Amino acid sequence: MEQSLRRLQTQKLLQRMQARKLFQNSLPFWLILPTVLVILIVQVYPTIYTAWLSLQQRQPAGWIFVGLENFERLFRNSLFTESIGHTIVFLVSYVILTLVLGFFTAYLLSRKIRFVGLYLSLIFIPWVISTIISGLVFRLLVVPDYGILAGILENPSLFPPDGISVLTDAPPARLFGSFPFPPSFGMVLLIIVSIWRALPFTALLILASIQMVSQEVVESSRIDGANGWQIIRLIIIPIILPTLVVTIFNLILSGMNGVATIISLTSGGPGTSTQIVSYLLYSLGWGQIQFSQAAALGLIIAAINWLLILGTLRITKVEKG
Amino acid sequence: MRNILKGIKKRTNNLFIHIALIAICLFCILPIIGIGIISLKDLADIRRIPPVLFPCDTPTESFNISACRWSWEGYRLVFGLKSNPDSLLGFSLTGNIVSIYIYNTVLYATSTSLVVVFLAAASGYAFSRFRFRGHRALLTGILAITGVPFLTNLVGLYQMGITLRKLPFPIDDRIFLVLVYMGLFLPLSVWIAKGFFDAIPRDLEDAALIDGCSQFGALIRIIMPLALPGLIAIFLLTFVNVWNEFMAGYLLVAKNEYKPVMFGLYDFMGQNYMNIQVVAAACMVIAIPVVLMFLFFRNRFFSAMVEGSIKG
Repeated sequence: MEQSLRRLQTQKLLQRMQARKLFQNSLPFWLILPTVLVILIVQVYPTIYTAWLSLQQRQPAGWIFVGLENFERLFRNSLFTESIGHTIVFLVSYVILTLVLGFFTAYLLSRKIRFVGLYLSLIFIPWVISTIISGLVFRLLVVPDYGILAGILENPSLFPPDGISVLTDAPPARLFGSFPFPPSFGMVLLIIVSIWRALPFTALLILASIQMVSQEVVESSRIDGANGWQIIRLIIIPIILPTLVVTIFNLILSGMNGVATIISLTSGGPGTSTQIVSYLLYSLGWGQIQFSQAAALGLIIAAINWLLILGTLRITKVEKG
Repeated sequence: MRNILKGIKKRTNNLFIHIALIAICLFCILPIIGIGIISLKDLADIRRIPPVLFPCDTPTESFNISACRWSWEGYRLVFGLKSNPDSLLGFSLTGNIVSIYIYNTVLYATSTSLVVVFLAAASGYAFSRFRFRGHRALLTGILAITGVPFLTNLVGLYQMGITLRKLPFPIDDRIFLVLVYMGLFLPLSVWIAKGFFDAIPRDLEDAALIDGCSQFGALIRIIMPLALPGLIAIFLLTFVNVWNEFMAGYLLVAKNEYKPVMFGLYDFMGQNYMNIQVVAAACMVIAIPVVLMFLFFRNRFFSAMVEGSIKG
């Protein structure tokens, strides 16, 4: 009697343990499921949908399949080739300048000095300002005739021959065939605004990783006779290289996505000189209601983005994770 | 003697560092201060040629602080201040930005951030504490998803929104928008949450389990309180991101009265094209809440950003 009772108890205990084990095994699944669902609905499905749209065309009766015609039309569009040129000018100068300035700022902040917290807070304020406001802020500063900076820039004695009007001056003559270099003043302003907004985040990431570089290594190399520049080039940069790669990814992505800044800063002008590919996508899709072409362009932008990311990984030979 | 020389060298070095940092700080905040000044000028002073920085000059002096002509015109127009004897304070705010758009954005930002915190905490905990099949692949996949520019997805999302509105049971644009925001900001939040959970030692949990706490009880009583600062950081980061988002709110919502504040600003800019002091005031009104929020919680923001980007 007592034995069977005990057996029953053990059985119950075993069952309970099994149930708990089952619960524990499936627990991570249930915890992650909602996140994965949301990401599938909002990030993965729309990408597939965009890919599908790029092969269709809108007819009064509905969407019909047209193959690669949208891509063909896009490639024949002269604005597209031009916007690729603008994108290269924009991305190269924006990423390199932000990285250099961000590293410089982070290096200064990593020295043992006072007020680091205060400096960091002030430097970080542009990050909290939204893209559309930051475009607007700089636009209001250089608005023709009334802007505070416009008064200085439009002065012909400071900037011969006629002074500079950032938002209306036509782009200068091109040096390399149809490649849009040198950039227009509008593009220069766009690059400055983008750096202004991206600098804080870049500097913070680099600062955090510089602080992880062991102080002993730096000290011992200093004793061995390395000067400041050698320490930066041979010790700090190799150690923080993975962070630099992550930062470059972030910069490329935010540069590719930064339409709102262009909308509020220059609306693509003067002329078409600040129309980078993402602005072209916006104006194709929501200006000219050519969603199929916009979708095709969207896929191309995503592809360029991935190429840039893979290229950076390849060049720096850093394995992710 | 040598020590004194070294000290002097160090001091001059530090001086240069401070000068450089002050220059960078000025580059970062001067444009905003400039907008603050513009927002306080009246139209006559803005339209002066050549422009003056401060509206403080008199016919005889170039700068006289007692003669400054500051004006609240811009802010009055943004807030749409009207006296209203029926309301509690004796006036009411009728400006669209304050009465419609900021309200919408607070609603979107709060609901998005709450759900994101909850989901990110659940999946971050799972990724941090359990090893299961596809663990690494799923974690990398969530990060890799963010490599597709949002603009690419926006084309598909826009068409999805059109379809959703035509359904027999149409889904409210606002719910759709919050869902989009969630998907947009979840991947990073999951990584941040995982990092924060990784930092909590496992022994604490094991001790609780040995003392008879259930797995779930340990999660609620031991882990969550320790992870709370991290979760607050995720909330704040998502809140600011949603507050500042423009494209999705602009393009995915059909009705203007449901659009968020960044659209409100864009719309306002179109209406007051020539009155730049009004536009500047609107910028200040919209930016100041998040700037204050950031300055107040800055260390939480920093920890979340470092956690999410470097360790990820």
